[in-house]
Amino acid sequence: MSGTEFSATLDRLILFLMLAVLAAILTAAMVMQYAFGEIPCPLCLLQRVAMFGCCFGLIRQLRSNNSERGTGIALIFTVLLLVISVRQTLLDLFPRPGHDYVGSAVFGIHLPVWSVIISVALLLGFAIRLALFGGAHNTADAERHLPRTVVRALVIYLVVICAINFLSVVAQCGLDQCHTFGYRLFQ
Amino acid sequence: MMAAVYATLLLAFILDLSGLRRIAISCLLMSFALCLGLFLWEVYSPDYGLRMPWLQL
Repeated sequence: MSGTEFSATLDRLILFLMLAVLAAILTAAMVMQYAFGEIPCPLCLLQRVAMFGCCFGLIRQLRSNNSERGTGIALIFTVLLLVISVRQTLLDLFPRPGHDYVGSAVFGIHLPVWSVIISVALLLGFAIRLALFGGAHNTADAERHLPRTVVRALVIYLVVICAINFLSVVAQCGLDQCHTFGYRLFQ
Repeated sequence: MMAAVYATLLLAFILDLSGLRRIAISCLLMSFALCLGLFLWEVYSPDYGLRMPWLQL
């Protein structure tokens, strides 16, 4: 394997790992919601959208041969995730009347703060990837560096959890404003 | 509104999976715009605007 091919493979592997970690985080958020009864607030739901958008960009980049458009899409949604999570962290910094709900902590850190950490880690990941590999590799077939079935399975898994999230949002919010009181559809 | 954000997002994923990549990007952009609009609507307060007066620096 030549040096260019090796760096291309490593590049795809990093993108795949970033995608897998994001899928795991989204799955953990769903476990918190369904198994532990943590009904997500509107800003939490918007943070999930930003993470899914980031996944979309990563999927595009995994398929791309000679363009960094996917990275651009992922970066836009990462910045959106950072903005929303920082704002929510600042909102929940002090207890305010009528805003008692902040959710539970994971390893002593509340979920919006985890979102800030995740978005900064993503920004660092993209920066390191671009610094190490310098962007597009112009390889003939980008997808051949990773087993096609593994990537395909992860993409389908992401589409499935996106569909579950959509159904969950319809159950929780209907076509109206979202609240954390319960699932509107089951009341 | 949140349902619309997720609907356009899901549509973007499905269209991308089906090979309709340009339409998928359009759906994703629509989802992004809706998400941004909803975020601003959620954090806007008639009393404070977009400020956070409980933060004293």
